[in-house]
Amino acid sequence: MSLAFIKLEKSYSAPSGKSFKVLGPIDLTVKNGEFVCLLGPTGCGKTTLLRIISGLEQADSGKINRGAGRLGYVFQQGALFPWMNIESNVMFPLKATGMAGSLCRLKAEEILDLVGLYEFRKSFPHELSGGMQQRTALARGLVTGPDLLLLDEPFASLDTRTGINLQEMLRNLCRKLSTTVIFVTHNIEEAVYLSDRIVVMGHRPGRIVRDESLSLEWPRNRLSSTFTEVLLSFRQTFEELVDLSISS
Amino acid sequence: MSRLALRKKVRTDLRQRVQSLLPGLVIPTLLLSLWFFFNSRSILPAPGAVLDVLLDPSADLLSCGSLFWNTGVSLIRVLLGLSIAIMLGTPIGFLMGASNRFRHFTSLITELARPLSPIALLPLSIIIFKDTSFTEVLGLNHLKYSRNILNELQIGMIFILAWGGIFPVILETMHGVRGVRKVYIEAARVLGAGRMFIFKHVLFPASLPDIFAGYRMAVGRCWMVIIAAEMLPGTNSGIGYMLRYSYQLSRLDVMLACIFIIAVIGLVFSRGLELLGEKWLLLRARER
Ligand SMILES: Nc1ncnc2c1ncn2[C@@H]1O[C@H](COP(=O)(O)OP(=O)(O)OP(=O)(O)O)[C@@H](O)[C@H]1O
Ligand SMILES: [Mg+2]
Repeated sequence: MSLAFIKLEKSYSAPSGKSFKVLGPIDLTVKNGEFVCLLGPTGCGKTTLLRIISGLEQADSGKINRGAGRLGYVFQQGALFPWMNIESNVMFPLKATGMAGSLCRLKAEEILDLVGLYEFRKSFPHELSGGMQQRTALARGLVTGPDLLLLDEPFASLDTRTGINLQEMLRNLCRKLSTTVIFVTHNIEEAVYLSDRIVVMGHRPGRIVRDESLSLEWPRNRLSSTFTEVLLSFRQTFEELVDLSISS
Repeated sequence: MSRLALRKKVRTDLRQRVQSLLPGLVIPTLLLSLWFFFNSRSILPAPGAVLDVLLDPSADLLSCGSLFWNTGVSLIRVLLGLSIAIMLGTPIGFLMGASNRFRHFTSLITELARPLSPIALLPLSIIIFKDTSFTEVLGLNHLKYSRNILNELQIGMIFILAWGGIFPVILETMHGVRGVRKVYIEAARVLGAGRMFIFKHVLFPASLPDIFAGYRMAVGRCWMVIIAAEMLPGTNSGIGYMLRYSYQLSRLDVMLACIFIIAVIGLVFSRGLELLGEKWLLLRARER
């Protein structure tokens, strides 16, 4: 699914009643099947942007063009349903679209196997660790084979090894289904490893400060010099941003 | 777990349960012995006399039926009123919680009606419904003069029970639905769930513990209301009626037996529902 923002702006009202600008103006076009990582310091409006894309929030001005198709959304805090077991959580988006029960179960089991939670499918969210809950949320976002997948720091509480495996899995699956992905993260290495394109956002108001398609070929080698070069360059952009926001 | 270990576990569980009950028995025992040993001025009948009444619950007392019969009449009235309260109150409360427009539409009337004690409505409801009972409603007029449970289920009585029970159900359900965390609803929405699906699979299960708490409150209220209502004109059966009638005849042994039964049934209601609800209330623990 392709995606375009034109001069998108968003303000919230502060407790004092004064309105402050969170986003914008933002101009961005995402091609069908593109894997875009959204990097940015905390509070710059990444979650807000995803909420606008998904329709949970309305922009104040500007336009957003979204193609038709299924949406997958993995929330920053997981947002699993605590009264359902893992399997039912993952089946939820399938059932919501009226898929037959037995087929739902089959698909859910398949995806739970991919994220390594098959054995835990009958457990409840509170019985799992934070990282396992995140993986469940990821599975729930992926299970429909969405055309547009929005991920809000899905690997934040995973150890490096599991994180890398899941990055691998996510990347392959999205390739196979040619899913358009917006992946929000703080982790620069993760972004450089995964994405076709990295968009760096700055602070107050949230805006795009750097937008670059990566020319690194697949499979990527984290230890290669080209990889580290790209990594360093983005790290620099990021440091400058954070310095700015602290000194301002 | 081996069978032996299991049996041992069951036994220790049981012992712990019994032990946790013991401290609660201290005060009742004290009161009972006070009654037993210091009842010289005989305001009250001896405990033995009350026990005699309780031990023969199917005997006709004061020619207005047995303890069994009258307790049963009261229980069935409560069950009927409660079912109506639950069947009407749950959807109303649910809609009030889920739709702001519906809540604004109904909140004034529910706020006004809620503090009105059901007992205050009893005379009015007798005037409106006369002494119409289920016998007439079901068109079984040939049963009208026989001793029959249907004759004892007066519409007016059921009405005030439903009145007493419906407001806790409505309010708790509404609060439960309104209290469902927004992330769950948003997650469901972006994952493609429609309105009805969210109602059924998100709002309802997420607010079940509150809904159930409402049912529990309703049961308690109905049990209080029925006893009071039966002591007033409009009926000549039920455990409350028996209580008042025994007072008029100065049969304190029967009166105390009635009080005992009322208390025990109240206890069974609240404890039983608590145990039943623990399964659902677990949902609360899951969110932590
Ligand atoms: N509902 C709201 N009302 C008022 N202000 C809000 C609301 N939601 C977000 N904000 C503000 O908007 C800004 C951006 O928030 P957002 O959650 O989009 O940041 P983020 O980039 O996702 O941060 P993080 O990386 O920490 O998750 C913050 O300053 C926040 O205080
Ligand atoms: Mg965020």
